[in-house]
Amino acid sequence: MVTGPLALVATAAALLLTVACNGAAGPARTPTAVATPAGIPVNVGKGDSAQLTGAGSTFAAPVYQAWADDYHDLVAKGVRINYQSIGSGGGIQQFTEGTVDFGATDAPMTDAELAKAPDAQHLPMVMGAVVLTYSLEGLKAPLRFDGPTLAKIYLGQVTKWNDPAIVAINPGVKLPNSKIQVVHRSDGSGTSFVFTDWLSKVSPEWKAKIGVSKNPNWPAGQGGKGNEGVTSAVKQTPNALGYVELNYALANKLPFADVQNRAGHFVTPGSASTAAAAEGVAIPEDYRVSITNSEGADAYPIAAFTFMLVHRDAKSCSAQKPLVDFLWWALHAQDATAAADELNYTPVPASVATRLERTLLSLTCQGKAVLAP
Amino acid sequence: MTGSLFERSETLYRRRRAANRLMTGVMVLAVVVALVPLFFILFYLVTKGIGGLTLDLLTQDPNRPGRPGGGVRNAIAGSAIMVGLATAIGTPIAIGCGVFLAEYGQNRLGTVIRFLVDVMAGIPSITVGLFVYGLVVLPQKGFTAFAGALALAIILIPIVARITEEMVLLVPRSLREAAYALGAPRWRTVLRVVLPTATPGIVTGVILALSRIAGEAAPLLFTSLGNQFFSTDVFQAMDALPLRIFVYAVGPYDYWHEQAWAMSLLLVGAILVVSLIVRALFGTRVTVRQ
Repeated sequence: MVTGPLALVATAAALLLTVACNGAAGPARTPTAVATPAGIPVNVGKGDSAQLTGAGSTFAAPVYQAWADDYHDLVAKGVRINYQSIGSGGGIQQFTEGTVDFGATDAPMTDAELAKAPDAQHLPMVMGAVVLTYSLEGLKAPLRFDGPTLAKIYLGQVTKWNDPAIVAINPGVKLPNSKIQVVHRSDGSGTSFVFTDWLSKVSPEWKAKIGVSKNPNWPAGQGGKGNEGVTSAVKQTPNALGYVELNYALANKLPFADVQNRAGHFVTPGSASTAAAAEGVAIPEDYRVSITNSEGADAYPIAAFTFMLVHRDAKSCSAQKPLVDFLWWALHAQDATAAADELNYTPVPASVATRLERTLLSLTCQGKAVLAP
Repeated sequence: MTGSLFERSETLYRRRRAANRLMTGVMVLAVVVALVPLFFILFYLVTKGIGGLTLDLLTQDPNRPGRPGGGVRNAIAGSAIMVGLATAIGTPIAIGCGVFLAEYGQNRLGTVIRFLVDVMAGIPSITVGLFVYGLVVLPQKGFTAFAGALALAIILIPIVARITEEMVLLVPRSLREAAYALGAPRWRTVLRVVLPTATPGIVTGVILALSRIAGEAAPLLFTSLGNQFFSTDVFQAMDALPLRIFVYAVGPYDYWHEQAWAMSLLLVGAILVVSLIVRALFGTRVTVRQ
């Protein structure tokens, strides 16, 4: 993916630019140091030069694009990591076909999918929450939902906003006697996977009729393409209800509901309640885990890891090395954490981060370790 | 008798004139009805897009999602590169095909090829994209601007081929005969006499095809993919204006919507400017009638 002489020229230019900048007034932002265990150089990624392409999850698109921007601006001028949000289904597909350097998905690959791409390594990069957003006039406090009611709404059984099931958990809230305009995703989506995964855990009827899927057979509602499409549909349709990644609701100043968790508490989605969802969950060696309907008292129930898909042993070192350097930076640099925080993503728990370090160190290209000194 | 005959012809004449006026009126109305949406689109585009059309839009790369500002320099450059490359790939093939159809195509083979070109012109652009995805992207293991340009070229070829054929057929016989009389062989006549005469018409056809492919998003979705960085490498993923309009128009941020309108205006404006320049250079019509 990197052209020889051009790459050299680009690196040289990048170095010159860095020197020039440091010589003058200095860049506006200085990169923060990257914490490194013994043996790993502090200046990881410096001098890398590559154009990499990744695609997949729309859920994680804002944070990956922000990281790519910051990494390019602050760490490695020669590295451009192009990320296009085509949906988690597309991310797995394109990674398997080998048309992208890395994929991204919110739904871990199934065993059948892994059989076609045995080299795939899941890397949980951040956590996020799927929130229920709505367009109802004149509501002050956030609405409350529980699993069985939401399942009924998405099954098309509860169709009015003032249905007794909704009124019962929202005492004192004036709900209109109008049809709920249900919005769901129309594309293969990790967000849909997380949402239906949770619905299946809390509603036996949902599990029996629809089940867990990136692209379920929706019995009710209209479709929107991507988190963006659902956000726009909810924004533009009165009395609409949709599910999107938290950041999309915040960016559009859309309200979002408190959702009842397994312990029976109504929890507001946010960084702390998402982090609480990962606590006490046993995470398997390959990281393929669901953290919906988690047990903690403060856990938000529709939370998930979002995964990057990389090759365990890549054929091309010119792509694998800059990619792993970038991932190392994303997991360790304060700039990366700040960017994720600004976009309302939750960092992975410390225990997972430590394990991820080991996983990154184990990644190879043409049989050689990439990160080793 | 003569008087009544005169009167009868007079009534006939009046009736015909009335019918003529009526039909002219209907035609004018039809033209107005056809033009109204066009002006509405242009008006809407200008009012919605002019606000976002800033210098930053042309000279900056996109900001990260959620941070207002930034521009679409990468998409402008990408569109220019891919449309240029598609024209470079497609035009020679298309002109060759058109000349063949006009000069050697008055037989069964010509009829078959003409039919195939027409079928090709009718293929939905998304299908062309899928075809190139299977043919180039999957085997090459990567989304590239080259694949995008190839998809655009495939859309351009039938348009330019058919217009070339029409334009070559318009070249008067007397010109060819003059060339033959001077002892020029057929290939030389085609190359030196027929083609130069038909050039203004062919150029018009190329502009027509160019403006068509410049606005295509569907064939680029799974060929050039898009790129949030500025890139001029044709063997890497590349951005394009229609792709970015597609993403921004349905996106969550208000400044995206504004930039989508501005990009649409930019696209229409660019096509207008290019066709004006080329027309100024090559003249406006084919000078053939004698």
